[in-house]
Amino acid sequence: MTAPVIGFAGMTHLGINSAAAAAAHGYPTVWFDPDRTLVGRLESGEFPVVEPGLMELAKVHRERISFTSDAMALRRCAVVYIACDVPTDERGDSDLSSVRRLIDTVSAGLARDAVLVVLCQVPPGFTRALDWPVAQRYYQVETLVFGRAVERALHPERFIVGCADPAIPLPGPYRGFLEAFGCPVLPMRYESAELAKIAINCCLVASVTVANTLAGLSEHIGADWNEIVPALCLDRRIGHHAYLAPGLGLAGGNLERDMATVLRLAGETGAETGLIRAFMANSRHRRDWALRTLHRELLTANPDSVVAVLGLAYKENTDSTRNSPSLALIRHLKPWRLRIHDPVVPARAADHPRAVACASPLEAAAQADALVVMTPWPEYKGLAPAELARAMRGRIIVDPYRVLDTGAVAAAGFSYFTLGVSPSRAARKAPHA
Amino acid sequence: MLEHLNTAPAKPGRVVIIGAGGFVGGAIRRRLEEEGVATLALTRRELDLLQPGAARKLAALLRPTDSVVMVSAIAPAKTTPLLVQNLTMAEAVCGALAGAGVAHLVYISSDAVYADDQNPVTEQSYCAPSTLHGMMHAARELMLKSAIAAPIAMLRPTLIYGAADPHNGYGPNRFRRQAAKGEPIAIFGDGDEQRDHVLVEDVAALAALILARRSRGTLNAATGVATSFHDIAHMMAKQFDNRIAVQSVPRPGPRPHLAHRFFDITNCLKAFPGFRYTALAEGLVRAGRSA
Repeated sequence: MTAPVIGFAGMTHLGINSAAAAAAHGYPTVWFDPDRTLVGRLESGEFPVVEPGLMELAKVHRERISFTSDAMALRRCAVVYIACDVPTDERGDSDLSSVRRLIDTVSAGLARDAVLVVLCQVPPGFTRALDWPVAQRYYQVETLVFGRAVERALHPERFIVGCADPAIPLPGPYRGFLEAFGCPVLPMRYESAELAKIAINCCLVASVTVANTLAGLSEHIGADWNEIVPALCLDRRIGHHAYLAPGLGLAGGNLERDMATVLRLAGETGAETGLIRAFMANSRHRRDWALRTLHRELLTANPDSVVAVLGLAYKENTDSTRNSPSLALIRHLKPWRLRIHDPVVPARAADHPRAVACASPLEAAAQADALVVMTPWPEYKGLAPAELARAMRGRIIVDPYRVLDTGAVAAAGFSYFTLGVSPSRAARKAPHA
Repeated sequence: MLEHLNTAPAKPGRVVIIGAGGFVGGAIRRRLEEEGVATLALTRRELDLLQPGAARKLAALLRPTDSVVMVSAIAPAKTTPLLVQNLTMAEAVCGALAGAGVAHLVYISSDAVYADDQNPVTEQSYCAPSTLHGMMHAARELMLKSAIAAPIAMLRPTLIYGAADPHNGYGPNRFRRQAAKGEPIAIFGDGDEQRDHVLVEDVAALAALILARRSRGTLNAATGVATSFHDIAHMMAKQFDNRIAVQSVPRPGPRPHLAHRFFDITNCLKAFPGFRYTALAEGLVRAGRSA
């Protein structure tokens, strides 16, 4: 039997990775975006997103990929996913107009029996309000993780599908496509699925907030949060995959979006959501950890300081700088000279009047008084602190994610500041990495 | 959080200081005059805000291009009559500024507006005063914001110390006076409560920065470092070559509910990246020299 054609509308991070995974599972795919230039770039193999394994995957399955900027080309699709970006404002509130525009564009070209699946992140109530036959209208929870998007798209833990009536079986082509991934499929009403996405993110944020709160306390009382994490992971009620690594607050934008959605819904319904406000306050506080550390250790006393900043992306293995802690830090370092490096993001993204773009991390370290590792790129793990010491003028390393070899950092004579452990301990004795 | 309406610092045309004769007002006046800023310094002698017609009198002194610093208060406002008097003073200022129109207003408020259980305190902390003094400042902030169209900045200092402090509250100023008289420095219990203490000249410097950037919003004036009264007493004793003893005395009442208060000063680092608070040890020495 010929596999049905699966369409993806919106060549975003989500759309591209999801479409590549569909092709890899043996389905002919149509990659649609109204932006003709973007489609041209994709066709020539130039992808606008960085993900490990993505280019290779698309290349291997090229014969099952058809690029188009013509919505009518979606007419041969049995299932069409809507996968555009949903922009948020500074408060995290979603602007859904782009989703609605794309649905209007796409639905004009669809076959009468085509199934429309909203894959992008929308608030509860959105899918039910759409103008498309309920038997062919679904919402599917996306679980994109930047830097691990291909792996997650190829091997999802489960599919959560929002339906008008979960008791009615999914249409054959859609059900067959989902079953090809070999994971559980959980149908539920639209609103439940839309809230399930938010619930997943709330649980992640809860873990992150616990980690950040107690890592912050560890820094003051001589504990080392990294020693505690394995103990938590071995607890069956918490688990190996729990988000317990301390970080610089919530980044990336999607988690904040869901927190904002919960607060908005609570505001409209009177539900109690003080916990969510606490998550947000903790995130704001932890985001500025590097700024406070730099001021305390260097900047306040030395107005002529030079700071090397390694990493601009919001996390490793991505070129996304959305809500990047690094850019947030740089924004508040205007009076000081910076030397900047990122393996993927151009230095101009920093938008700093006194920043120098550097071709390598060692070049960035040259004559710097302090070095800050703001994105845990794998290539920074290999940096030799002894070489950094030879290049730098000062002896301060701020390494929130503990990327560097802490023993070698101490041996090279650096004062070392990392999340979850008090600075004096890190400077005197290498913590167990 | 502060928003700077001047993208770069600019000298204000003239700054009218209401309450220029006081401890904080005097420091702000000196700071502005050192920077060459024209000031109109109003003490109670020139303008008694409790007198009838005070609003009209003040309005007649103001120009539309003036920046105004409102620092006049009867502090601490520990009783209801004092609370009411302070609000009457603010009412006069509201009346004058609403009518005359000015370019900018800086109100010197207090960290007493925050709820006691907020730790660390930031500008986003809840305002829920537990004292009449805190309620007085919170009410004045609201009165000014609701009456005046000009951009307003609220500067909320924590415990202020300095040579000219007329108060004799528990802390650096009282400790210095005790030591200067050759008396032991008396701390309550073991003096382990930690507080943030800010030098009055730093408060004045922040006010000057806010005026230069024509900032609006809220900023705490706190160093971000909390120190125990025990340690402050010993810092003070050191200034007197350790000839003065530090003596524990029974607390005058139960141990305070607010044992420690810390400030997160990230917003100040962002608003004024080049500003440096005077460390307490250094500030105590400077205050001691001026005393």
